[in-house]
Amino acid sequence: MASEESVSTADQWVGKSVPRKEDKRHLAGASNFVADIRLPRMADVAFVRSPTAHGRISSIEKPEEHADRIFLLTDLQPLHPISGGPEMATFRNAAYPPLADEKVLFVGQAVAMCIGCSRAVAEDIAETVFVDIEELESVMDAVGALEDGAPKLHEEWPDNSFVDATISEGDIASVADAPVKIRRRLKMNRQATNPLETRGVVAYFDHRLDELVVYTSSQGPHVMRHGLSLALGMAEHRIRVVAPDVGGGFGGKNRLMPEEIALAALALKVDHPVRWIEDRNEHLTASVHAREHHYDLTLYAREDGEVLGIEGTVHVDAGAYALWPSGPFMETSMAARNLPGSYRVRHLQIETHTSATNKPPIGPYRGVARPGACFAIERMIDELADELGLEPVEVRRRNLVGPELMPYRTAGGLRLDNGDYPQALSQALGMVDLPALRERQHRGEPDGRKLGIGFAIYTEQSGHGTAEWVKRKSRVVPGFETATIRMLPDGTVHLLVGIQSHGQGLETSLAQIAAQELGLDPSAILVRHGDTALSPQGFGTFASRSIVFSGGAVAKASRALARKIKSIGAHLLQVPLDQVIVRGGAVHCGGANVAMKEIARAANIRPEMLPAGLGPGLDVTETYEPPESGGVFSYGVHAVTLLVHPVTGVTEIIDYVVVEDCGTLVNPMIVDGQIIGGVAQGIGTALYEEIPYSENGQPLATTFGDYMMPCASEIPAFRIKHRVTPAESTEFGVKGMGEGGAIAPPAAIANALNDAFRGSGAKFLETPMTPRRVSDAVAGARAGEQAA
Amino acid sequence: MKPASFDYVRATTLEEAVGVLAADDGVTVIAGGQSLLPMLNLRVTAAETLLDITRLEELKAVRETGEQVFIGALVTHASIEDGIAREAFGGLLQRVASKIAYRAVRNLGTVGGSVVLSDPSADWPACLLALDATAVLASASGQRRVALSEFLVDAYETALEPGEILTGFEISRRNAGGWGVGKVARKSGAFADSLAVAVLGRAGQATRIALSGTASCAQPMARVAALLDEEPGAQAEQLARAIRADITDAHEEATPYQERCHLHTVMSAITEARQSWS
Amino acid sequence: MELTLTINGKTETLSVDARDSLSDVIREKLNLTGTHVGCDHGACGACTVHLDGIPVRSCIVLAVRCEGSEVRTIEGTRGDDAMNVIRRHFHEKHALQCGFCTPGMLMMASDIIRRYGRPDEKQVRSELSGQICRCTGYMGIVAAIVAAADELAGEPAAG
Repeated sequence: MASEESVSTADQWVGKSVPRKEDKRHLAGASNFVADIRLPRMADVAFVRSPTAHGRISSIEKPEEHADRIFLLTDLQPLHPISGGPEMATFRNAAYPPLADEKVLFVGQAVAMCIGCSRAVAEDIAETVFVDIEELESVMDAVGALEDGAPKLHEEWPDNSFVDATISEGDIASVADAPVKIRRRLKMNRQATNPLETRGVVAYFDHRLDELVVYTSSQGPHVMRHGLSLALGMAEHRIRVVAPDVGGGFGGKNRLMPEEIALAALALKVDHPVRWIEDRNEHLTASVHAREHHYDLTLYAREDGEVLGIEGTVHVDAGAYALWPSGPFMETSMAARNLPGSYRVRHLQIETHTSATNKPPIGPYRGVARPGACFAIERMIDELADELGLEPVEVRRRNLVGPELMPYRTAGGLRLDNGDYPQALSQALGMVDLPALRERQHRGEPDGRKLGIGFAIYTEQSGHGTAEWVKRKSRVVPGFETATIRMLPDGTVHLLVGIQSHGQGLETSLAQIAAQELGLDPSAILVRHGDTALSPQGFGTFASRSIVFSGGAVAKASRALARKIKSIGAHLLQVPLDQVIVRGGAVHCGGANVAMKEIARAANIRPEMLPAGLGPGLDVTETYEPPESGGVFSYGVHAVTLLVHPVTGVTEIIDYVVVEDCGTLVNPMIVDGQIIGGVAQGIGTALYEEIPYSENGQPLATTFGDYMMPCASEIPAFRIKHRVTPAESTEFGVKGMGEGGAIAPPAAIANALNDAFRGSGAKFLETPMTPRRVSDAVAGARAGEQAA
Repeated sequence: MKPASFDYVRATTLEEAVGVLAADDGVTVIAGGQSLLPMLNLRVTAAETLLDITRLEELKAVRETGEQVFIGALVTHASIEDGIAREAFGGLLQRVASKIAYRAVRNLGTVGGSVVLSDPSADWPACLLALDATAVLASASGQRRVALSEFLVDAYETALEPGEILTGFEISRRNAGGWGVGKVARKSGAFADSLAVAVLGRAGQATRIALSGTASCAQPMARVAALLDEEPGAQAEQLARAIRADITDAHEEATPYQERCHLHTVMSAITEARQSWS
Repeated sequence: MELTLTINGKTETLSVDARDSLSDVIREKLNLTGTHVGCDHGACGACTVHLDGIPVRSCIVLAVRCEGSEVRTIEGTRGDDAMNVIRRHFHEKHALQCGFCTPGMLMMASDIIRRYGRPDEKQVRSELSGQICRCTGYMGIVAAIVAAADELAGEPAAG
């Protein structure tokens, strides 16, 4: 909640669409991404990568003329395997080696690294390395991976399962006789995260400081430093990790990857800086992959549309290894726990399987598990509506958790804190004029296309802390954030945060929070982040946590600083402390005031002016965790209207409405930017993006010629309405909202396609709904009709 | 993603260029490079020597006479999009050019480069096949002309002989009847899953329809074209039968989806052509 | 090989490899790192620069082909009045987040405005096809280009 102090200032920066501080350097072409770092004698690295999905390495031959520029795992020792995944006895470890040495487990896995004076020369050398691989049968399907007799990736395991678990609530048997039962198989296919800046590492040893410096395009440098320390067996104080400008992450830059360890180890072996910039081909074939969920679900319901229970299985195709620190289990458990969505369903019984396959490891991607879960449950709701002949919106209304039930613990064990879901649905409905669209649908389109309207509702757990991450058995528990606020002698401010911003605009929104608390203009506050040598401990930006945690830490540190500023100001004004306020760059008491810069001068360079007993300096560090450790839930309703061609299957979105509630908005312009960007990525998941594999494990989308990234022609303009239900437990009532946009689009778009072809029997149960899939679904339904 | 090494030579006249080609059979011609450079960067193809012909001014010409139009091989997609030869075929060339890839690619990509590559999904081969264009080829031993239907041999395979350079296309104005284009792609700017170009016959000329997005090069749709000439008012069902038969020849082992797309683009192209005609 | 070109108004003679792309030379030889490389196969638009006045993808242009040409990168537009109007609208309309696509977007935006004068939203979206932005969902970018074009045409901005 807003403190007394903040209320008493006139500087209301929270809630203002302040243009971003970050923009200037980017617009000038003067930003500094990893690939832009220039160091003397820096050499480029290229990796030799496996052409085989599953095989045993017989030998790796270094040609003699390049032998000193080719490095294998044995050349990088000492290195220590680091286990990713939850700290659970039942979770099987599969440490991801920086370079493969015994087996290769997917096409694209790094086997050796080569140094050249340019990337082209390094690639030339890489082409001369001969890797002899005895090919083994590959495992390409998450469900088939667990069948008896499937070849095993990790020979010490009994089968290909990382972990199997059951998520259970209520008593599913009690609803087994429900009058309505619907069973569907759904699938969300594999994709890559595709920030426009690929990953990249520059590493060198700084002899002056006796430290290893690693620049890496990362979402959380402190955690990466810890991981590097474990992997290298090197004291953490001798490692500095810097994430400079980072060109998007979306989850894909939030795991310690083999190339980062390999480059760091290499920098300790050679006497010059080394650089590796991931190319797009590497990104698509060997970086963090995401999604790939299989659902087999049965929905139990009454004839009036009330959903009673959900039963079934979830398989997540987790790829070959567990990424450090969290591994793939969270994907599966979150998918199962989020299946009840925003509904009052009380019986849940989900078997979950996290399968190892001969594909790159999966990691987090915007929305983590929830785009799949939302797709599954929201599609099932529409399937139920079809079965009962009801408007899908009506079925939703009958099942939504109402505000009178909040806080509400779902069958998945999530505590929905507040908000008004039914009202949000009504609001979205009001924005699309459903009767008019139904009328248009009835009339038909002059060009033969079909009109469809689809809805989806999502919730977004955000700002969850220690208790939640401990429940997930996480080996790194991101339960707090830290902020150091430091006022310099002229009254300007350095704000050092452990959070990392890579497009979210935190340099602006955190400055707004500090400005509000300190009675300053945000331009007087410089936010620094992304450098372990500079900023205090933090975990980085992911899980919709930054504004809750880091915003809270900044508010807390700023308030502590403001208290000291007021003490000094009261002393300088010779008035009682309880009569002063900070406002407009000064401490005020009635008509009298003393400028902040006078106070800063006193505290920093004129200690004789300070009150007796008060130490010098204006430098405060605070950590923060919100009191509600299970997180606060943003939510929203998406309503999409589209036109789809029944023969070619080409879809065009003609209207996209978002009604969302993320509590208090710190910077509404940035919030809208996050929503729109998230929805655009969700549209990519829904309609375009996919990395299919051949039966023998060859990736079939290895360039942007095959992997379809949505462009401005594919993404519509959006209409957004905000509801504001402030969180009760966070500073200012904020909730995280970075991921929500990406959660609902696959569900909403699939429901719109279903709507367009309602009654035809065409099913839309697999993403992405490419023209081919849509066309095949429609044609398949026609063929079925004729056969019947 | 960097290309392997190659040598580079630049020619400034056609004579010089064919001389370089005659002297060394390890030479690959590069024009706009908008297809070749991505392939070189990905190391899916390699070259010993690249011969840069982008300075051959004579290949950038568009010459229109009463009888025919000559389009130089180095004419870019963008210059056609911006209106060079706009009137020649009622805007067909402009329409096709404007939908190829993206503007920055169209600024350098050339008509000749597109046809010489004979990518199965490319736009120009279908368009020029439908216009019954003739490829003009030059070598140290002189010039020859090859009908596009013979020039395109298969996917990534043409009748271009070692030592030859494609200098441009001659297109008879007689073929400028009504036209239509149908295209299906996974997203804007992506290679076509199916692309059909229909050019209706005028004054006794044959109707020609061509299809891209097959497993090989651009293919003629001969049956439906003949049907349209015999029965200009042929109905949809009749047309569809002919198109299906053509697709069977044009695209072996097409998936049902590809067949549906082809049927759709050909039908769309015919419909548009008929409308533009009337 | 020796290459002479004019980069942002200044003529430079450099030693390059035949296989160097224009983006390699701009970034690694001239250290103009404002031109970003997002895919290295001509499909994302981040590396867009102006070659003799028109936008091209510098990752799929051979540097040696540019002998005698004039190349303009984002760094060369810092004093350009029209580009600064576009920049201001990008800033005001939240047309960038991580900033990686931004230089390419700006180089393309100025060309769209040059060719169309006052493009409408649909034209801008179509012309931006092939310029990938992973962060913004394009809405701010499209709005900024339309508004900048209106301002540069001397017309009051709509809406």
